Amino acid sequence: MEFIITELKHCDLVEIHGRIDSYTAPRIKEAINALVSDGHCNLVIDFTKVTFISSSGILALVNAQKKCMLNNSGRIIISSIPKLVYSGFELAGFDQLFEFYDDAATAVGSF
Amino acid sequence: MIEQVKSRTFPGNYKSLERISEFIIQEAQNIEFSPSEVYAIQTAVDEACANIIDHAYGGENLGQIEIQVQKFKEGIKITLQDNGDPFNPDDIPSPDISSPLEIRKERGLGIFFMQKLMDEVIFSFSQSGTNKLKLIKYRGD
Repeated sequence: MEFIITELKHCDLVEIHGRIDSYTAPRIKEAINALVSDGHCNLVIDFTKVTFISSSGILALVNAQKKCMLNNSGRIIISSIPKLVYSGFELAGFDQLFEFYDDAATAVGSF
Repeated sequence: MIEQVKSRTFPGNYKSLERISEFIIQEAQNIEFSPSEVYAIQTAVDEACANIIDHAYGGENLGQIEIQVQKFKEGIKITLQDNGDPFNPDDIPSPDISSPLEIRKERGLGIFFMQKLMDEVIFSFSQSGTNKLKLIKYRGD
């Protein structure tokens, strides 16, 4: 799993590649928490190249979103999520917690 | 009638999860499950193995996970075996996915995923200290 963070004018774009499971979720959690702690709470997480997400990966994003919502300081939105990967969010009942966009450019433009 | 049985043993650590997934995907694809069924099986097994590491062993590299895959005409049976602490799955409350986010408890999501994604989820614990989890998925659900 790899990720690339690009700071944009109104948000940060986080492109994740590969699996988000119990092995990789802590690294993503750490990176997102660092952004949120620095006041970068407007995030687009691009899932184009994410092949799998487990409940631990979903919870890492849910907890970051909760933190952003609690401080009313921004929001995390998700772009280009493959249908099967999205099914995990739906099953866990977290599909309503995030806005999902078909592509990163539209998601970035929403801020 | 069982047609094929394949066993593999993996170290009980998170790094194994990707190799376990590759093994499971290959076996499930061989018997022509649909992509969504393969993904469901992959997810259930990943959650089961993460639970073994987290709860049965209580950490990484404290034991092994043995995985046996039995393919039969109607589907697949995956048996996961470990030597960690037994636990009663009934003691783990199901997450209330309709409760408000602020008060929602996040425990039990792994078992919830397994139960939603597989047709049968059977835990058993022996006196000798072996825990077994059988996950069964039938094709075309």
